[in-house]
Amino acid sequence: MKKRTKRLVAGWVVAGLCMTALGCGTSETTGGTSGPTYTVGTDASYAPFESMKGDQIEGFDIDVLNATAEAGGFQVTYKNTSWEGIFLALNNGERDLVASAVTITAERQKTFDFSAPYFEATQMIVAKQGAGFRSIQDLKGKKIAVQISTTGDTVVSEAFGKDNANIKRFESMPLALLELKNGNVDAAVGDNGVVLEYVKNNGQGSFETVVDTSFAKESYGFVVKKGNAELLDKINAGLKKIKENGKLAEINKKYGFQN
Amino acid sequence: MSEVIQVRNLCKSFGALDVLKGITCTIQEREVVCVIGPSGSGKSTFLRCLNLLEDVTSGEVVVLGQPLTDQRTDINAIRREVGMVFQRFHLFPHLTVLANIMLAPRKVRQQDKAAAEQHALLLLDKVGLRDKSNAYPHQLSGGQQQRVAIARALAMQPKVLLFDEPTSALDPEMVGEVLDVMRALAREGMTMVVVTHEMGFAREVGDRVLFIDQGVIVAEGPPETFFAQPENERLRAFLSKVL
Amino acid sequence: MVDNIRWDALAEWWPQFLQGAVTTVEITVVAVVCGTLLGLFAGLGRLARHPLVRLVPNLYVTFMRGTPLFVQILLMHYAVMPALFGSNSAIVNGIIALSLNAGAYIAEIVRAGIQSIDPGQREAGRSLGLTQAQTMRHIILPQAFRRMLPPLGNEAIMLLKDSSLCAAIALPEITYYAKAMQGSTYLVWESFLSVALLYLVLTILCERLVRLLERRYGTV
Repeated sequence: MKKRTKRLVAGWVVAGLCMTALGCGTSETTGGTSGPTYTVGTDASYAPFESMKGDQIEGFDIDVLNATAEAGGFQVTYKNTSWEGIFLALNNGERDLVASAVTITAERQKTFDFSAPYFEATQMIVAKQGAGFRSIQDLKGKKIAVQISTTGDTVVSEAFGKDNANIKRFESMPLALLELKNGNVDAAVGDNGVVLEYVKNNGQGSFETVVDTSFAKESYGFVVKKGNAELLDKINAGLKKIKENGKLAEINKKYGFQN
Repeated sequence: MSEVIQVRNLCKSFGALDVLKGITCTIQEREVVCVIGPSGSGKSTFLRCLNLLEDVTSGEVVVLGQPLTDQRTDINAIRREVGMVFQRFHLFPHLTVLANIMLAPRKVRQQDKAAAEQHALLLLDKVGLRDKSNAYPHQLSGGQQQRVAIARALAMQPKVLLFDEPTSALDPEMVGEVLDVMRALAREGMTMVVVTHEMGFAREVGDRVLFIDQGVIVAEGPPETFFAQPENERLRAFLSKVL
Repeated sequence: MVDNIRWDALAEWWPQFLQGAVTTVEITVVAVVCGTLLGLFAGLGRLARHPLVRLVPNLYVTFMRGTPLFVQILLMHYAVMPALFGSNSAIVNGIIALSLNAGAYIAEIVRAGIQSIDPGQREAGRSLGLTQAQTMRHIILPQAFRRMLPPLGNEAIMLLKDSSLCAAIALPEITYYAKAMQGSTYLVWESFLSVALLYLVLTILCERLVRLLERRYGTV
């Protein structure tokens, strides 16, 4: 290529890259209006709690945390974080807090600090219409899909053994539910909020859900690094306010939850 | 005597390059025809057209009564009767000498193993290499490899043998042993077309010599007159350089 | 740091890792065999004279080499196989995806191997009256195969490592169990480093095997 042509091409390439860089304003999801800004990790593949809409994150958790931040006097920026690495990111400081439909458990409380609960959930069994499962014991010997290291995973592992070959662990709830849809497993176990949302969007008539009465009531909490009292206090202060002034109830109603 | 090969106005081009520009000749049964000429003259291309290793651009080539240019002609059937010996031998390196010779008769003529082996050993006797029957090609000298290649071609009992500069890739001391084999074949009455630089062989063994230059036959004749009284200037010039 | 290693957790999960290793080896072996057969046909197909015969192998090779293996695995397990056959297992789908992918790369290895054989070999075979198929079978392929062994060996080792991507479809191989251990214990070094070492042992063994084969059947 002639020298002049080379320079021309190089010029356009550079211009193109600049324009792309400028154009790529990451439209981040944010919340709150005043105060210090904290980075929130959330695995946005968990509708209706958190999911992607275009390049914005939306969902129940987002709404609740935004209201909490507003009331508590701080701001938040959300970053989509894969579930498997979310707690590691919290521990090494990449995220200040995690808002990802995280159930408060004794095990987790050993390593992290939780806010006061902001949502009540239970595990739910979902299967193809007509399967007739009534309780977790009915799943004995059946193939079950769960999301790795969720309370659903724990419930099923405790019932049938951690190394049971019938338990299939997936990186995300949508993949686990897809496995059910394709007929490769007999049932999936996950948080009721997520499961109901999935059933609503994927053919109400083809699935049936059941909550085993033995399933413990679970609570979601926001998670901070152990010892981060400053942020935790702010969150709890904000949560208290929105519980008292009805804002939390309003958000629950918006999503059709009877909390 | 019948005409084994008839070539009429054979032209061959590689893209825009015209290599053969109208060759006409016949090869009779039991004839030994030697083809000489400068490099680039098209003599190897001419030879390779005779068994369709090169396809013909225009003109006619009839081998053993079959027109090569006809779509319906079974080229494999013709190649069974037309053997070829290459400048670089092209023995099959992964097979022993014996296996090299036995391969075609077994697969093409459906000969059984015992018969093929016997025949192969006879041929090795003929070229003087019976003791090398279980050796691999890379263990043989160039001259030995070429003799095996001749035996391999003979295994199919061809009616014609084509030789493409059979001794050009050999060290001088091995040329003789290969020419001896070829001489014996000629004496037995094999029809042979030999592209060569060995003028001594052409003079001694050839029935006819063809001089090809720049894609046409410039001169031809029996060796006695061909070499002693070159019929034109180009032949004279060529011979003065090689003799 | 060494005294912080949770040997108890490792001991608990180690049987799973070994089970995963067996599965990894199994699916790799099957994928290599199937991929080689596929690759042989695709490679030969790409060398055919008729453009229509070349079309399908060309499309296959272009697609499989132009898309990420991870995407192919997800596509196969969640979309293609359910659409074609309804329910099926992760192992079958994983093997199919791996085989299809390997086949495309092996097709290129086959094609290159065959084209590296001196054209004089083909001419010698044809001049004896052997058909194109006979020449390929008795003369070209035996020689080409020896030349294909080193790159084929490489492909096998790559498949061994790439099989880890099948963890995404819950195929119970090594990486799947590593992630399960990490998810359950939050121990990242014990889970991921130990399976990395496990893979290393497997790939070294594989390399030894390939070198042995090369020596036995090596280039003539």
